[in-house]
Amino acid sequence: MHSMGAISDEDKLDADEAKKVLRRTARMARPFRKTVFGALAFTALTTLGVVLGPVILGWGIDNGITPGDTEVLRNAVIFYMGLTVVAYLAARQQYILINRAGEGFLRALRVRVFDHIQKQSLAFFDRNKSGVLVARMTSDVESMGELVQFGLLQFVSAILLVGFALVLAVLTSWQLTLVGMLVMPVIIGASRKFQRDSNAAYLDVRENIGQNLSTLQEGIAGVRVIQAYAREPEQQRRFKQSNRQLYDSHVHSVRVSTWYFGLVETAGVLATAIIVGVGGWLYTNDEVQIGQIITVVLLFAQLFEPVQQLSQLYNTVQSSAAALNKLFGILDTEPDVQDGPDELPANGALVVEHVGFRYPATETAVLTDVSITVADGERLALVGPTGAGKSTLAKLMARLYDPTEGTITFGGVDLRDATLASLRHRVVVVPQEGFLFGGTVADNVRIARADATDDDVRAAFDAIGALERFDEFPDGIHTEVRERGSRLSAGERQLVSLARAALVDPAVLVLDEATSNLDPGTEFIVERALDTLMTGRTTIVVAHRLSTIQRADRIGVIDGGRLVELGTHSELVSAGGRYSALADAWAKSQPVPGA
Amino acid sequence: MSEFAPPGISADDAPSRWKLLSSTLKAQRKNLIIGSAIGLLWMVGKVSVPLLVRYSIDRGIDQGDMLWLWVMLIAIAGVCVGTFTALRRFYAFREARWTETRLREQLFNHILSLHVGYHDRAQTGQLMSRSSSDLNQIQSFVVMIPITLSNFSMIIAVSVILFVTDWKLALIALAPLPFVNIAGRRFSHSIHGAVLQVQMEQAELATVVEETVGGVRVVKGFGAEEVQSARLRTEADDIQAASIRAAQIRAKYLPAIELLPQLGLIAVLGVGGMQVIDGDLTVGQLVQFNFYVALLVSPLRMLGMTIAWAQRAGAALERVNEVLDTAPLITDPPRPLQLPPAEHAGAVQFRGVRFGYDPAAPVLDGFDLDLVPGQSVALVGSTGSGKSTVARLLVRFYDVDDGRVRIDGVNVRDLALRDVRRAVGIVFEDTLLFHDTVAANIAFAEPDADRESIERAARLAGAHDFIMGLPEAYDTLLGERGFSLSGGQRQRIAIARAILADPRVLILDDATSAVDPSKEHEIRSAMATVMDGRTTIVIAHRPGTIALADTVVLLHHGRVVASGPHQELLDREPLYRDVLAAMADEDDEQRAELAAESGADADADPRTPVGGD
Repeated sequence: MHSMGAISDEDKLDADEAKKVLRRTARMARPFRKTVFGALAFTALTTLGVVLGPVILGWGIDNGITPGDTEVLRNAVIFYMGLTVVAYLAARQQYILINRAGEGFLRALRVRVFDHIQKQSLAFFDRNKSGVLVARMTSDVESMGELVQFGLLQFVSAILLVGFALVLAVLTSWQLTLVGMLVMPVIIGASRKFQRDSNAAYLDVRENIGQNLSTLQEGIAGVRVIQAYAREPEQQRRFKQSNRQLYDSHVHSVRVSTWYFGLVETAGVLATAIIVGVGGWLYTNDEVQIGQIITVVLLFAQLFEPVQQLSQLYNTVQSSAAALNKLFGILDTEPDVQDGPDELPANGALVVEHVGFRYPATETAVLTDVSITVADGERLALVGPTGAGKSTLAKLMARLYDPTEGTITFGGVDLRDATLASLRHRVVVVPQEGFLFGGTVADNVRIARADATDDDVRAAFDAIGALERFDEFPDGIHTEVRERGSRLSAGERQLVSLARAALVDPAVLVLDEATSNLDPGTEFIVERALDTLMTGRTTIVVAHRLSTIQRADRIGVIDGGRLVELGTHSELVSAGGRYSALADAWAKSQPVPGA
Repeated sequence: MSEFAPPGISADDAPSRWKLLSSTLKAQRKNLIIGSAIGLLWMVGKVSVPLLVRYSIDRGIDQGDMLWLWVMLIAIAGVCVGTFTALRRFYAFREARWTETRLREQLFNHILSLHVGYHDRAQTGQLMSRSSSDLNQIQSFVVMIPITLSNFSMIIAVSVILFVTDWKLALIALAPLPFVNIAGRRFSHSIHGAVLQVQMEQAELATVVEETVGGVRVVKGFGAEEVQSARLRTEADDIQAASIRAAQIRAKYLPAIELLPQLGLIAVLGVGGMQVIDGDLTVGQLVQFNFYVALLVSPLRMLGMTIAWAQRAGAALERVNEVLDTAPLITDPPRPLQLPPAEHAGAVQFRGVRFGYDPAAPVLDGFDLDLVPGQSVALVGSTGSGKSTVARLLVRFYDVDDGRVRIDGVNVRDLALRDVRRAVGIVFEDTLLFHDTVAANIAFAEPDADRESIERAARLAGAHDFIMGLPEAYDTLLGERGFSLSGGQRQRIAIARAILADPRVLILDDATSAVDPSKEHEIRSAMATVMDGRTTIVIAHRPGTIALADTVVLLHHGRVVASGPHQELLDREPLYRDVLAAMADEDDEQRAELAAESGADADADPRTPVGGD
């Protein structure tokens, strides 16, 4: 997968936001507190095991080697040995624990964000591009994976290493530590500049990678057009341009880090020179011993690598914080369709009263003052021109959205007061496309009722007269549907969709008329299945075909967001209004040869 | 299309994968040598510091002899080391990026030159990953080349110095280090597999999310949130488990890699310390040993990883090479002929053409068609009759298996590809817009066209009005990351594109299938304008489009079974009536589908239709 989202301001956080993100993360990470503390303790132990080395060496030199005391030297070696073993064991634990905490956190985050996304109404999914939502759940969470897998550990141990080394250096010789620290202002200054520049360079590289990938994709996906118009040279020039731009941004980013690494390296050796020089002078004044000088020199030698690491980690931390911020943004979106307290009755009339609807943050109303009563068992067809609002009305009737004005009730209960569970049990929407998920045919039917047995699924297929069709499959209803159901024909996908509805056995069926191209054989089975399914149920169908409309009990004509006509086919035709004009146009656009 | 093919690459002299890399690197020889030389200087600087520290301790401090000199020398070495560290890094990374950049261009140019038949089989995603992640693998290996050279020289230099100083102590101090190398190599191997596993699990989770978001209408309609949640939990658990396995591999190797050298340091303290007490070694030398052992850790670790990276880069090179090794099948003839002058041109002739995407199953067989300049025909036939194939053969996307395709009397195989494709303009079934301005998209065939002619083309295609309504009119950016247009608008851009190209022969491939019915007549009148006086082949999938052409040609099983005016065929050909009836049904359904789709769009936010296919 290639993520090619353009860089926006979302990828940069200011200090306030960063603090907020940090606090909130800490709150979310609370369940992993114990593991985190354990990891920290083991990391401290490991770091200590590494950082104490120079101290033992210096101590061994001053108290064992210089006075010629082999006993002390032996003790130093034994202690060093023991320390290394402890550090090794602790290091193994730190990797395990920090990952357990980090991955646990990410798992919780994944589940939480996903569940929250699922709680949103359809309006949310209309507002947010599906690619963006998928990116939140994948690349954004994964960008934190890098941090969790090794960044966090590096981060913590680098800080501990710097801290421990400085403390030990001061304890060994505060004078030498002080002079060694003379190079610190240079390093701190350079690190801050590096952090700023490298973050900008990093974002620039990412932006250019995105651009390069999409130029690449355009070229590959558009190869037929490009060849048909003999535009290869032009495309190659374009690609070269974007490719060179990417190269330049890479080189810039390397340049930014290059001088920084050189500078830190130089500062490290300079610190050694200063400590050795001043140490030698102090030694002649008998204020330090050789071993102490060596200890401080070696401690300082350990100091600079973690500083470099911390600066490099800055980018990783920064982008993780940005990713978290985006995820928190999703978690902060309140679902606008909320669960209610009441159970819907088993059946009743569906009553739409003075309903108006407008999408959030838009001015124009999609629906205005619509009132219809659909009797129990009635079949209502909604027709009207493109964009008139008929699909929206159907969706409101299934509470995929809530109306902005008016009420919709079923059996006297306002849909907003109903539990979502009982609502989905009584009112089922069959989308026009038979959308399939990964898994078997049976799994796909079971989407409608997770606890349904294989027999229930078979019964559902049987109820719509399609069981034979699926029994002929290599593994029957347990056949894998493959990617997006590519193994099934359009008609078979619709049959699965209808079987889902049959499994639920709802009182109200909302159909967005299925209109994909079907082979004639399946077409017939689908038609029959639909008829069976609609029998005895209240049905609202967003209709496109004359044949469907004619079979409805009543027809509602929606135009400009209003219900303009309502009646039976013959009533409306004889009334000579919009419906009769529409029916006329429909008849004319029918096949030429039939005429 | 030899001008587009990268030099030196053809099926006959297929370079092996490493040959590809070495030939690419050869062009960068100079900078690679400079980089390696800098690496050696870096090594000298790095190795000199512990030596200088030793002398400053033994002579400067211990004996009070010219300490300042040694300190100055350390400082100078420090400046040199810093400078060379920076330069070494810079050269290594820059050259590696340059290799990647040039290979990517080579690859892209080659992909564009490959015949359509290749692209029919290749997946866009695969070609994308050749040009991105595979090249990235190669890049990370190229970085390691100069760095490994200097690391290696450092290992040798340090070993020599230590052995000269005291070979026994050197042996003991360095003994654990080869294990660092081995552990590094093993670690790289096992972690690679583990990371791939994590990525696979992540991809599975992504599928669940994609399906849920794409199928949100189903999920919401049936209240299947719980089911999807359960699926997601399973996938999240799998990712967690795979990540923990990766962590266990890290836990197994990394602490060992980190702490093995410390055993050398302990040995130096114990054994070396005894030697100092016995007077066989100075304290300075002891410290020097300490420094050197620490210095060797990261080169040895990297050396181990380099081997693993080289293997991965080798695999990536092979995949890249596979693409570069594919020779374009459709190329310019050695001595291309010229088309006759353009006036009164546009004759098209198919003679006994046989062609199949799979040669064993011909789509066209014994296909004949003659068009005089300015004539327009509609190709009609049921699905699979081969009508779209006719267009693809005329622009020479494929070569016929047998027979001839001629434009103005010249076989398309005898013409330069560029000339064939400038002579024939196709309006494709699905319009691909590039991430560029509206004007540039219209001027696709003629990038130098002035604004006036672009506008004229847009007007003729009936696109001018809606373009003026766009945020920045002709300068509005289109494409994936730009403004999205409706299907009908896209098609009118495509027609404008064809008008501007001013081809001898125009092919309209079902150019109205995705158009809102209310806009259909506008498109048809636009098409009628373009077709006026121009040889046109309409690939008709819809009854309405047929009316645009003078003559109807009925295809069945890959050959022409009847031709004549629409009404005549309608009267005498039962097959024609059948095909039309089927077409009308489909049309009706498509129209309804489209109405529903655009209805959903118009009802909802107009940006992206949610829902997959």
